[in-house]
Amino acid sequence: MLMTSERAGNGNRPRLRYIVAGISVALMVGLLILLGWGLQNTNAPQPEAGMAPTFSLTSFDGETLALEELRGKVVVINFWASWCIPCRAEADELEAMSRKYRDDVVFIGVDYADTEKGALKFIEEYGLTYFQGPDLGTRISADYRIRGVPETFYVAKNGELRGVKIGPLSPGELEFKILELLDDR
Amino acid sequence: MIAEIGFVALSAAFVLAVYATASSAWGGYHERPAWVQSARSAVLLIAGLLTVAVGTLVYSLQQSDFSIAYIAENTDLAMPSYLRLTALWGGQAGSLLFWAWLMSCFVAAVMLGKWEQDRDLMPYFITVATLTTGFFIGVTVFISNPFARLWLPPGTDQLTVAFFPPAGAMLYSVPDGNGLNPLLRHFGMIFHPPTTYLGFTGFVVPYAFAMSALISGRARDDQWIRTSRRWTLVAWGFLSVGLLLGGRWAYDVLGWGGFWGWDPVENAMLLPWLTGTAFLHSVMITERRGMLKLWSVLLIVLTYSLALFGTFITRSGVISSVHAFGKTALGPAFFIFIGITFLGTMALMIKRLDLMKSDHEMESFLSREAAFLLQNVVFLAITFVVFLGTVFPLISEMVTGDKVTVGPPYFKATAGPLFGVLLLLMGVAPMIAWRKQVAARLGNRLMAPVLVSAVVAVFWGYTYESPWVAYPVLWLVVFATLAVLMEFWKGISARMSQGENPVAAFTTLVSLNRRRYGGYFVHLAVIMIGLGFIGEAFFMKQTQGTLAQGESLQIAGYAVRFDTLRQYIGADGRQVTEADTSVLRDGELLATLQPRQDFFSEHGQRVTAPDAYATLGGDVYVILIGWEDIGMGGSTFKVYYNPMITWTWLGSFVLLAGTLVAMWPQRAGRSHRSYVLNPVTPGPKLDAGGAA
Repeated sequence: MLMTSERAGNGNRPRLRYIVAGISVALMVGLLILLGWGLQNTNAPQPEAGMAPTFSLTSFDGETLALEELRGKVVVINFWASWCIPCRAEADELEAMSRKYRDDVVFIGVDYADTEKGALKFIEEYGLTYFQGPDLGTRISADYRIRGVPETFYVAKNGELRGVKIGPLSPGELEFKILELLDDR
Repeated sequence: MIAEIGFVALSAAFVLAVYATASSAWGGYHERPAWVQSARSAVLLIAGLLTVAVGTLVYSLQQSDFSIAYIAENTDLAMPSYLRLTALWGGQAGSLLFWAWLMSCFVAAVMLGKWEQDRDLMPYFITVATLTTGFFIGVTVFISNPFARLWLPPGTDQLTVAFFPPAGAMLYSVPDGNGLNPLLRHFGMIFHPPTTYLGFTGFVVPYAFAMSALISGRARDDQWIRTSRRWTLVAWGFLSVGLLLGGRWAYDVLGWGGFWGWDPVENAMLLPWLTGTAFLHSVMITERRGMLKLWSVLLIVLTYSLALFGTFITRSGVISSVHAFGKTALGPAFFIFIGITFLGTMALMIKRLDLMKSDHEMESFLSREAAFLLQNVVFLAITFVVFLGTVFPLISEMVTGDKVTVGPPYFKATAGPLFGVLLLLMGVAPMIAWRKQVAARLGNRLMAPVLVSAVVAVFWGYTYESPWVAYPVLWLVVFATLAVLMEFWKGISARMSQGENPVAAFTTLVSLNRRRYGGYFVHLAVIMIGLGFIGEAFFMKQTQGTLAQGESLQIAGYAVRFDTLRQYIGADGRQVTEADTSVLRDGELLATLQPRQDFFSEHGQRVTAPDAYATLGGDVYVILIGWEDIGMGGSTFKVYYNPMITWTWLGSFVLLAGTLVAMWPQRAGRSHRSYVLNPVTPGPKLDAGGAA
């Protein structure tokens, strides 16, 4: 398009010039509308309290899990991706905790903006056994307004959101939070 | 009192910016030089006033004047004074002031430079440049004021932030501030934001020249493109270094992961860099052959617009990112500003299309010109895919209601191969003749480097157990390197045949052709920088394990041994957990590394600080990720072997050196005009008060 406009200038072909000008202006106005619309919908910060946004997630093995069916259990939702380096640092801790609290806490790994191949390799590499599924269309990530990966959300037994950790989990932090939520009646 | 001085200076600078915009436009339109001279003085005064404003804020930061809201929000008493200085750009209001100040300094530098060459462009240059600078100053005066104070209105315990005291309110000073975001408490904070800002704000100069050439109808003259090229190089150099420093910072503080994460804000910095690089190449064709004028103007305008776009998405919170400043009141003002800028620029370009005709048509598709054009197209293609990936969440949400974010896999798959094409062109283009190249002769020239690089690449790949996909990439790297070195050798050997010794031949060669050989240095630097990315993509190794004291992890022929662990409280109250580890090879101790984790209890934030043993072959990069009771059970480490990453950091020095060489003015008296350049007729002298 841009090259055409140069030729249009060279050849003094007014019609082509109007077409090029029209398309350019339309694209520019389109971009401005997009940005203006985006500004209207500017992201609020992550939700930290209130009811956790519900979702259902289909795992890499084809099983489906819905958050509202997990009432009565503590839920840890971890957003991650195979390309994310800090996610690697916390992977072992998440797996260890998911095994330790298998009966009382449900761990959900939400794979964000990733390739299936990369994700499966990551899961295999760290021997992750808890529920893992791709966030198709990044819908869940959008509902939780994540800013990047890793991010970890804690959901209490009654379905309320009880905090978010942006960035990799620190040692002991996860267990501390789990114990706090398990005590919760 | 000091803050009041700062605010008065800031307000005066705003008034002067409005005045300079109007008087330069008036003077330019009615050809009244006195008005333009007066606008020029105003520009210099603006830079001086903003220097005062920045100075007062820096002073107040150092004094920890916690009655100023910005200082209470972004610093605390425990911060060392260098970090207190960096708080100038660590928060929204301060960074905008800093931005406006840098921009005003660039514009003032143009005013102080030689006017003769671009005299006719100066009126509208001042109009455009002060309009932009004025916007940023206005934002700090009216929306995000760094000098606003904390007030306690009567009968409430809610603090109000305002510059002018609300009725009956008492000035309130908090005992201690919030402190800088822990992730920003790093030496990288000293260099990365200022260099990046210098890059972004510097682009205003070529943009204002381009706009002025279009407004005044002098876009046919080539002199302004020459001036713009040098200023673009300045901004481009700063932006390049800023990008690399950001990468280095991310590498040193694990929280952001790796050294390039394709985060929207990183992309926003990359976009103007890409178009700026394309411009630095297309401008050579414009200067030498009088071609691609519209294209060059478009690239200048695009570069500046993308810099503004990047600033907008960072500041408005439109696209979520780890770097974003969060939701602020700036969004609407910024939106109106970029809307006016984009539409105005576009209207002007369309109106002046006829001015930018090429002097020559392309003679052959096998010519240096064609290679440059292809290179430009590839740069724009990368710009397009990166831009699309960055705004895709917005587009998808607007169209389908679902926000779809694309991650690094998308960017690697789309931009990666295009960067490969650029490497190939980087090697081939300098061997192609201007105007027309005979194919057979080019084939002969390419034969040796193609074959030699193929042999080296196979050997290299085989030695490092490379995956097969990496072989073509390795070949490209070796080929491009050889091609650049051959260019140097060609020049040096020609001089040596006239009896110069090699060192003298090299220095004379470079100093006589600074732009060309400076450019080649930059090419070498880009290849060096690329090595780190290639290492990460194809050769990175990693391992992880929980170690008792004295146990080791093995990686890439190295052993990393856990020696001891300690905990202490740092100067600014952070709780530090630090491990001593030893890097050994064949039992020989090479280095002691101290990876650590800092916990900032008041922010509830933990920052991981890895440590690395760096060699040219690769870094042993150790992260402490977990521990049990001190010295008892064991600590968990993650160890990476990051091949060739040191080349990336070394490349940044070569890039800086190359940019300086290319930028350095050639001795006066040497003419660079080629036979096709339109002679520039200097405008009548514009003495103070004289007639134009």
